[in-house]
Amino acid sequence: MALEVGLIAVGAGIAVGLAGLGAGIAEGPVGAAAVGAMAENQKLFGKGLMLMVIPETIVIFGLVMAILLWLKMV
Amino acid sequence: MLLPEQMTKVLIIGSKDHLEETVNILYGLHTVHLVDFPPDVEGFTLGSPLSAASEASGKLLKLRAVEKDLEIKEPKTPEPIPAERVKNEIDRAIASFETEISDVVGSKTKIQQRLGELEQKKRDLQPFTALPLDLEMYRDYKSITVFVGSVRSSPEGVLRESLDQFELFADDEERFVALFVPRADAEEAQRILVQHGFSEINLPPGVGRPEKTLEEVDGEEAILRKGFEEVQGKLEKLRDRHSAFVLASEEELSITVEKAETPLRTGATTHSFVIDAWVPSKGLEVLKNEISTKMGEGVYIELLEVKDRKDTDEGEEANVEEIPTKASNPRPSNLFEYLVELISTPRYNEIDPASVISIFFPIFFGLMVGDVGYGIPFIILGYLGLKKCTSNEWRTIATALFFGGIFTVIFGVFLFGEALGMHFAPSAYGEITWSSLLGIELPHSIDLGVFSIPIGVFSKLHDVKILLYISIWIGIVHLFVGFALGFANVAMRRGLKHALFEKFGWILILAGGVFLLVLMIDVLILLKPMAMTDLRLLAGTGLLVAGMAICLKGEGARVMLELPGLMSNVISYTRLTAIGMSKAGLALAFNSISIEMIAPGGGIMIALAILVFIVGHLMIFILAIISAGLHGIRLQYVEFFMKFFEGGGLKFNPLKISRKYTTEV
Repeated sequence: MALEVGLIAVGAGIAVGLAGLGAGIAEGPVGAAAVGAMAENQKLFGKGLMLMVIPETIVIFGLVMAILLWLKMV
Repeated sequence: MLLPEQMTKVLIIGSKDHLEETVNILYGLHTVHLVDFPPDVEGFTLGSPLSAASEASGKLLKLRAVEKDLEIKEPKTPEPIPAERVKNEIDRAIASFETEISDVVGSKTKIQQRLGELEQKKRDLQPFTALPLDLEMYRDYKSITVFVGSVRSSPEGVLRESLDQFELFADDEERFVALFVPRADAEEAQRILVQHGFSEINLPPGVGRPEKTLEEVDGEEAILRKGFEEVQGKLEKLRDRHSAFVLASEEELSITVEKAETPLRTGATTHSFVIDAWVPSKGLEVLKNEISTKMGEGVYIELLEVKDRKDTDEGEEANVEEIPTKASNPRPSNLFEYLVELISTPRYNEIDPASVISIFFPIFFGLMVGDVGYGIPFIILGYLGLKKCTSNEWRTIATALFFGGIFTVIFGVFLFGEALGMHFAPSAYGEITWSSLLGIELPHSIDLGVFSIPIGVFSKLHDVKILLYISIWIGIVHLFVGFALGFANVAMRRGLKHALFEKFGWILILAGGVFLLVLMIDVLILLKPMAMTDLRLLAGTGLLVAGMAICLKGEGARVMLELPGLMSNVISYTRLTAIGMSKAGLALAFNSISIEMIAPGGGIMIALAILVFIVGHLMIFILAIISAGLHGIRLQYVEFFMKFFEGGGLKFNPLKISRKYTTEV
C-alpha cells in the first residue's frame, strides 16, 4: 500500500513538473519576442500578453492531472 | 449599454467670418469628433489658421524662454487662475518679464562664464605649484628652450646620456616636468621627451609664485560665488512670484493656438468653410440648437448619415474603421474600459466587452482568492487607489482590486468561510481554525427562519474535486456568453445567416461537449458503467456532429484544428480552483509553522511566531494580487475575447480643452 501511494505521489510530481517545464520552454521565446515587440510599439501589450499566456495552459493540464492523482492518494 | 454610442456624420458649412465662433462652440460641446478634411477634394483647399495663431505662437515662444530661464518646474499645488485675467494681463506681463528677468538672467550668465574661466585657470596653475620656480622664470629666454608638461615616466636617465647640458625640474611623483635646454639641443630633447609620453601644458600668465596667483584666483572666485548666490536668490524670488502666472499663460496661449489651428483640419473655399465631423446621435440636437441660436443663418448643419452597425460590403471594411467608438458603459463598468483598450479599441459595430468583464472579472478574482482576510485589504487599497490615482493604469489596477475585493469577501464569507487561510467553524480535518484559535465555537451557518445562510460550504484544500467541477461549469457559462456575443456581433453586422454558420455551430459543439463531459465524469471519475443508449451520449454526439457540420460548411476544415482548442479552453478554467488551492496551501503552511510550531515555545517565540505569520501572509497577499489578477484577466483576454472580439476601432476623440492652471468662468 505504502509503495502504491508513493508511486502515485511521484506520478503526480512528474505530471506537474514536466508540464511546468514544457510550458516554460514554450513560453520563454514567446515572452522575449513579445517584450521586443512591445518595445517598438506600446500598443502591442495586450496581444503580446495574450500570445504569451497561451502555452501556459499546458501547466494547468499537468496540475489537473496531479490533483486527480493526489485525490486517489488521500 | 453593450454597444458603443450611435454616431451621426454631419457637415457644418458656413461663411468664413463665422469660423472662429463656430470653432469655439464646437470646443465647448465636447461631443464633436473632427474628421480631417481630405486634401484632394476638387474645388476645396484646406483651411488656413485663424489670425490669432501667429501672434499667440510668438508670445508662446517668449513665454517658454522665460519658463526656461526661471527653471519653472511643475508646482505641487497649482492654484488655477481665471482665464479672463490671464488674457487681460498677458501682454503687460510678457513685457515686464522681459525687462525684469533678462537683467537677472544676464548677470547670472556672466557670472557663470567668469567662474568657468577661473576654474580653468586654477586647473592650469595647479601642477606648477609642485615646482620651486616662479612663473616668469619659464619664459622669455634667448638661448634656452623650455618644455613644460606631463610625462609617463621620468626622462632624466636618457637625457643624461644624450645631452651635455640641461636642467630638469620634476614634481615628487615625476609626472610633471620642466626641462631647460640650450636652443641647439631642443630637437633632441623633444624627441626624448616624446618617447616618455610627454604632453605639453600651456604656461599660465602671471609672475611670482604660482601659489600666490592661485590665492588671488580663489579670492575672486569666492566673491563671484557670493554674487551668484544672490542672483540665484533673486531668480528664485521671481520664480515664486511668477511661476503660477507663467504656467497659466502658457496654457491659455496653447489653447488659443490649438483652436486657431483647427481650420487646418477643415475644408475651405474662398468665402466659406466645411467641417466634417462625427457626433453621437444623442448630442446632435444640442449641437444644432447651439449653432442655430448663436450663429443664426450664418452656419448650416447638414446631416450626412446616421451610421448603423451593418458592414455595407465585405470589401468596404476600411470605411467602418473610420467611425469613432464612444464607449457608453454606465458606472462602474466604465472603469473596466481601459482593460479592453489594452487589447484594442472596440470597433464601432461590435459589442464593447467592458461591461461583461466588469461582471466576470471580479467573480473570477473573488473565487481565486476567496478569503476575508485578504479581501478587506483589497477593498481598502482599491478604494484609496480610485480616490487618489489619476493615471489610467493605476486606476485600472485599483478598480480590479476594489471590485475583486468585494467578491473576495463575499466568497470568503459564504462559500469558503475563511480568513487568512483559517476556517471560521471547527474543522473535521483537525487543522487550525478561528474556533480553535479563539476558543469559541463559530457556527457553520446562520439560520434565519426558513433560510439558512451558510458560512463556509467548501474547503479549498479538501473539496478539490467538487471545486474543479464547479470551475469547469463556470468556464462553460463564460464560453457560452462569449459565443453568444460573437453570434450577436456577426448577426448585427452581416445578418443572421452568417451568424448561424460562423458562431451557432460552435454553440452547438460546446453544448454537445457539455453533455459528453457530464457523461465522462460519471464514467471515468465516479466509475459508473456506461450504456451505449445513454441519453447524454446520444444528445452530446448529435449536437457535436451537427455543430461540426455547420462549422465545416461555414469555415472549412480549420474547425477540426480548433476543436481541441475549445477543450483546452474549458480545462483552462480549472485554474480558478488551482490558484485558490495553492494560496490556501501556502496559508495553511504559514499558519501551522507560526501557530502550532513556534508559538507554543512561549516568551520571545510568540513574537517570532507573529513575525512569521505577518511576513508569510503579506507574501501570500502580494502573490494573490499578481496571480489572481493576471489569471483573472487572462481568462477574459484569451478564452473569452477570442470568441467574439475583433477590435481595431478608432477611439472617440472629441474637440475639447482640458485646463490645469487656468479656470474658465
